[in-house]
Amino acid sequence: MSFEPRILGIACNWCTYTGADLAGTTRLQYPQNVRVVRVMCSSRINPSFIFKAFQLGADGVLVGGCHPGDCHYNTGNLYARRRLAVTKKILEFAGIEPGRFRVEWISASEGNKFAEVVTEFTSQVKHLGPQTKMKIQE
Amino acid sequence: MTDFKKIEENLKKEAKKLLESGEVSVVLAYGKGFDEKHPMPYAAKSVADVDHMIFNEYCTYNMARYLVRYPQGTKIAIAVKAADSRAVVQLIQEEKVKRENLKLLGIPVMGMKNSKTGEVIDSKTTCGMYNPILYDILLGEEIHGQKTVSPYDVLAEYEAMDKDARWAFWKSQFDKCIRCYACRKACPMCYCDPCFIDQLKPKWADKAPQSPGNMMYHLTRFQHLAGRCVDCGECSRACPVDIPLYLFHKKVAKECEEMFNQASGMSLEDKPVLVNFRVDDSDKILE
Repeated sequence: MSFEPRILGIACNWCTYTGADLAGTTRLQYPQNVRVVRVMCSSRINPSFIFKAFQLGADGVLVGGCHPGDCHYNTGNLYARRRLAVTKKILEFAGIEPGRFRVEWISASEGNKFAEVVTEFTSQVKHLGPQTKMKIQE
Repeated sequence: MTDFKKIEENLKKEAKKLLESGEVSVVLAYGKGFDEKHPMPYAAKSVADVDHMIFNEYCTYNMARYLVRYPQGTKIAIAVKAADSRAVVQLIQEEKVKRENLKLLGIPVMGMKNSKTGEVIDSKTTCGMYNPILYDILLGEEIHGQKTVSPYDVLAEYEAMDKDARWAFWKSQFDKCIRCYACRKACPMCYCDPCFIDQLKPKWADKAPQSPGNMMYHLTRFQHLAGRCVDCGECSRACPVDIPLYLFHKKVAKECEEMFNQASGMSLEDKPVLVNFRVDDSDKILE
């Protein structure tokens, strides 16, 4: 059986989640590997969520937020951008493949982009193979 | 080389003056330990206490660590070396202490020694600066004309590593961790109460000193200190199992400096990088 990655998608309520909804209602096809968790804003994402996801066996983490400047709370994603950039550097220096973590700005009207990003990210993680470094072994 | 005896004399003189006049209620400096190689952090609360103070090349501790333990408004005098003064500036930026309550006794210093290994401490494990950024009273001569070495040079070897090798390296290091939290106790920037690792709801990681919990603790700690770590190197000196934590902190500090053009604790006007943003931050930082 081929490897099907498990990907955690964390989507902001106002843009990416609505965008994902739009992708669904317009019946766009995309891989079913992403499990979406809705948060109210991309700055709600504690960087520990990402470390924890990798420990609990996620092969990749995809974070979606509003485009900078379009945040429902005005500045949330601008903080998130800096914070998650640091998280990415930390994962990279610890030795995790940087391709396993991605932040994308997807607005509520970009159902197409959501489908594209998910398709691309899934094939990228598939190519990297199972994530065994951080996963807690039983 | 720094004249440690002279600094000790000046330190005692100034401490006595400040305590006598009632300008401060406590002086944070260094006191006698069980031998010369092991001085202790010391808080002098009266003129009589000043005689117990010492200063020598093993007084590496970052006394800024103890500032946050006093209630807001306490008048404190504190002995600061280069990195310690950056820590104080960073704490002022974070509004944990107020500038007007502090009296900084600046100590320009060169040739401090690690009491565990006896090696001279330089830019390999610390920020590599000699003069305090901010001070009210200077206790020695400022040091100039030294060759400046970038504190990030030591990283090149690790950055060049293959990512699997780097993972193996860090895993072997973090597996050694016994979770004594000495790094947290020694760090001037670790003042959260409770620390995320002590929380039970949500429980971020196991308390047992095993690999997954250790990884969670250290990675999150690096994240929390991003753009705040002043590179004093105390965490690695306090570590009983010699994990080179300073390497990771240096790497994160380097990335923050490159991405946001701001080093931690260098100016009172700055805001810590992660509680700040610019609308024109580039999306490239996420790649």
